[in-house]
Amino acid sequence: MGADSTRGATSTGSRNDIPREWIEEFEAAARRPLAKRFRYAFIKTYKPVMDDAPFRAFDTTADYRRWCEENLPSWLGYGRV
Amino acid sequence: MGAFEYRQAEEIRDAFDRHGVRYLFIGKSGAILLGFPDTTQDADLFLDKTPANGRAAVAALRQLAFALLVDEAADIERGKDFVQIKSGPFDVDLIFSPDGIERFEDAWRRHIDVEGFRVCHLDDIIAREATGRAEVRESLPRLRAFREYWLRNSAKSP
Repeated sequence: MGADSTRGATSTGSRNDIPREWIEEFEAAARRPLAKRFRYAFIKTYKPVMDDAPFRAFDTTADYRRWCEENLPSWLGYGRV
Repeated sequence: MGAFEYRQAEEIRDAFDRHGVRYLFIGKSGAILLGFPDTTQDADLFLDKTPANGRAAVAALRQLAFALLVDEAADIERGKDFVQIKSGPFDVDLIFSPDGIERFEDAWRRHIDVEGFRVCHLDDIIAREATGRAEVRESLPRLRAFREYWLRNSAKSP
């Protein structure tokens, strides 16, 4: 992976071009017990429309993606590339 | 409803084990179990798409107080490709046919056990994320870097 493909990282160099900040983050995470990793990782914020139904099922992943595109506000980030 | 907690992850792990559900954590929640430092909102579970496995998953989820109506349970038993459940103590997505992974059996063969949690191999997690939405794909470079780090450190472990 080259430095040009990274996001939010400013330096490279330690292990085979992995940005140093990322290595530090990976190592810090590895030192934490799993329960603590969970506490830091899982967050909950209300997502309009998405969170307004208790259950949804889609025949295909393509159907799900189409539904997201047609129904969710674009700023939620569920649109296609 | 609050965020998915470790205690709840243990509960779903134990309930799925009791009912013999064949599942794998996938997506960012899977990567986080493997040590990837990032944030996410939901637990994503890849389930083997068989009627028996779907029935077992419904029984386990109901035991965990997910309020599933008859039609909803039937959708899970049929193995609809993508099921989103927000009627329980935490949000969970059930995925029966994730993009980027041919068969559950292949992912199962490669899976990793983390404190009893069955987790997809990072290569499978990355294969699926690479087909995902824009926001998810933006985190791929960091996830691929983590894969390199993780593989190197796994190789060092006894």
